[in-house]
Amino acid sequence: MNNAFAVAGIVIKEMYRRKDFYVLFILTALITLAMGSFKLFNDDRIVRYLKEICLLLIWISSLVIAITTAARQLPAEKELRTIFPLLAKPITRGQLILGKFLGCWLACGMALLLFYVFFGIISGAREHQFPVFNYLQALWLHWILLAVVVALVLFGSVVLSAVSVNVTISFIVVVGILFVGRHLNKVALQLTEPAQSIVYSIYFAIPHLEFYDVRDLIIHDLPAIPWKIVILAGGYGACYTGLFLFATWLIFRRKALN
Amino acid sequence: MASPALILGLLFALCLSLGSALGSWFQGWSGGRNQSANVLNALIGDSRRMFANHFFAKADAYFHSGYYPTIFDSQKREEESHLAGGHEPAGEEGELHQHDENCKHDESDEPGHQHDASCNHDDSEEASFLGKPKDWIDRFSRNFYPVHHSHLEKGGERELLPWLRVSAELDPQRVETYTIAAYWLRSRLGKVKEAEQFLREGLRANPGSCEIYFELGRIHAEDLKEPAMARNLWEIALRKWAAQEKAGEKPDGFVFQEITGNLAKLALNENDFEQAIYYLKFLKQKSPTPDRIEAQIQELELKLKK
Amino acid sequence: MNAILETKNLRVEYRSREAEQGIKLAVDDLNLSVCAGEVFGFLGPNGAGKTTTMNVLLGFVNASSGSASIFGVDVRQPIARQRIGYLPELTYYYKFLNAEEILRFYARIFKIPRSQREARIDAVLKLVELEHARKRLIKTYSKGMQQRVGLAQALINDPDLLILDEPTSGLDPIGRMKVREIIQRLKNEGKTVFFSSHELGEVETVCDRVAILSQGQLKVEGRVDDLVQQYQCNLEQIFLKLIGHPVS
Repeated sequence: MNNAFAVAGIVIKEMYRRKDFYVLFILTALITLAMGSFKLFNDDRIVRYLKEICLLLIWISSLVIAITTAARQLPAEKELRTIFPLLAKPITRGQLILGKFLGCWLACGMALLLFYVFFGIISGAREHQFPVFNYLQALWLHWILLAVVVALVLFGSVVLSAVSVNVTISFIVVVGILFVGRHLNKVALQLTEPAQSIVYSIYFAIPHLEFYDVRDLIIHDLPAIPWKIVILAGGYGACYTGLFLFATWLIFRRKALN
Repeated sequence: MASPALILGLLFALCLSLGSALGSWFQGWSGGRNQSANVLNALIGDSRRMFANHFFAKADAYFHSGYYPTIFDSQKREEESHLAGGHEPAGEEGELHQHDENCKHDESDEPGHQHDASCNHDDSEEASFLGKPKDWIDRFSRNFYPVHHSHLEKGGERELLPWLRVSAELDPQRVETYTIAAYWLRSRLGKVKEAEQFLREGLRANPGSCEIYFELGRIHAEDLKEPAMARNLWEIALRKWAAQEKAGEKPDGFVFQEITGNLAKLALNENDFEQAIYYLKFLKQKSPTPDRIEAQIQELELKLKK
Repeated sequence: MNAILETKNLRVEYRSREAEQGIKLAVDDLNLSVCAGEVFGFLGPNGAGKTTTMNVLLGFVNASSGSASIFGVDVRQPIARQRIGYLPELTYYYKFLNAEEILRFYARIFKIPRSQREARIDAVLKLVELEHARKRLIKTYSKGMQQRVGLAQALINDPDLLILDEPTSGLDPIGRMKVREIIQRLKNEGKTVFFSSHELGEVETVCDRVAILSQGQLKVEGRVDDLVQQYQCNLEQIFLKLIGHPVS
């Protein structure tokens, strides 16, 4: 694990030395503050729309950071040939993959923390309440989702040839699952065979990322989710993360580096 | 070799000339969108209506604290939407109260029934648009989004306003947005002035709207206590309604009933039975219960004779 | 003397569109043996199979058949690389890091104890004369400075075996001299150096033994002095003769 954490440290350093995160954070902050500056119908206690806009921007930013960061890890190492001096050290390819995953995931976690602190400040300033427990829960679930996304994108980076292709396909898959994943069973019911079986298979096979999107619960101040459910969701995410990482390792270990 | 600056200058001059020449052609070609003073209209054209519908539905979703059918539940969508159902009774006459036909709650026999959070909604899974969970994934996912029917109340209705505002910006011709927003502003949030302002904005975009005139009249009657102004506005509303009918636009009969019913009620409050009978006769033409209206007319005629 | 680097019937095949049957033979039954404490030159024209052989030794590429071992451990085991240092031909390192951070990263992978890490980093930076630029990001470095960072990371773990792929490539004469000095110093310390190079003059000066590869096959292996005596010409002429190039 020492090697994996060493690689993770490099990934985190890369993230905070690149400009992407800062640009996205500033953009999120500016748009949210601009939206919050409007006084609608002389009522400054309206807050839910602001929470929704802020959370939407946070979600978009986090997905951009996670997908673009993860997509370029392994291809950049090969393209820039930094993988050679690295793998000439006593480090396995599995440790490298694990390190890249940990680095991307931890980096995303740090970015998320900052985003959610900002969100908390903005919503607290308006609502004059601060449901810390609910926000922490939302942050945790969001972070679990990013673990699955990062693992998926790392898998894509060893399967697909170009970074841009991986980024595009990953975005489509992730956004598609978030929007439609929950409803595929309803769609399947309206189809005939064999399409119904295909859609049902997809429905059961895909990682249901929508489990981790609890924005509606936060926006509408609904009660927190029982911890047993959160733990189960965490386990579900961990399974898919492990599956994607294992598949990545299976492919990467046999790949020629030159 | 010509200097780069000269080449750049020539290219720039060429671009300007082409722009001027094409501009006049474009003015006539684009179907009027570019004529619009509205930035949104110029940018996205008629698709703004689609966005306006989306934000209107968003307001409804907010009213239900996120519990809302998606396009995959579209069959149930109309049944569940009752953002527009917040009509208060006009008085003791049951005919002046209308439930929104989309309400799914038990209709009370009491004439003073209000559609609010205390409505007895059946929000069991079987009755809702969600239905019973179809599989373990469906069951598990219900922990992560709103699954209980509720309404915003006690000032929480303010959360609808931004979406109604945006919807109105995108589609100023959608009258319902103004009337619904005005209802929530004045009746639940105590913002009468803002309600009136918003309705007047709507009136500027829809000068022929009887619904907006009617709502303005309600503000003056119920909140500002200005019956004379209310009467004027309702009479204008009635004329607008008639004009729409004459033009073949088939205006909403329910609005006609509301206008005439309220005018009749106003007249009754002022003990002007003749005027009340006049308006009740109008009401009878469109009422689903003309016999009861007739009974009321006869009762008033008796009073008049006395 | 025990061989610390050994290949036995090493064979590496690639799929290639150009080859008739779709398979290109990059290394053909290579038997190499490098003993402890010697400086071993690995020579051959472009495409001879030198880099492929090095890639197998470093675990980048799997051999199609045969075996390779370092310190008696199969090269496919990561532990085989615990005591080696590698300098690639093209030196690219993480541009967003500075020299100190890169060395600290690699030192961590070698599990150099924290207490010794900083001292080790200081020592190698001093050796490659990069102390003045240790805090600057790699992206601001010149080619020569990047090559020296490469050398520093190859030496960070005080390796017993150094594998250098064209170590003087792209360097000016002063840089080449410094590399030769370092190789000589390592030899004096009893380290083993295995390097490939096109600079035959340098090889003749520095190396104890050489192997010449051509088209994936080992043409000759032996002490430089012995080969010069055997072929009655200098190393460059021996090289040209063995690869089938006419000698002027």
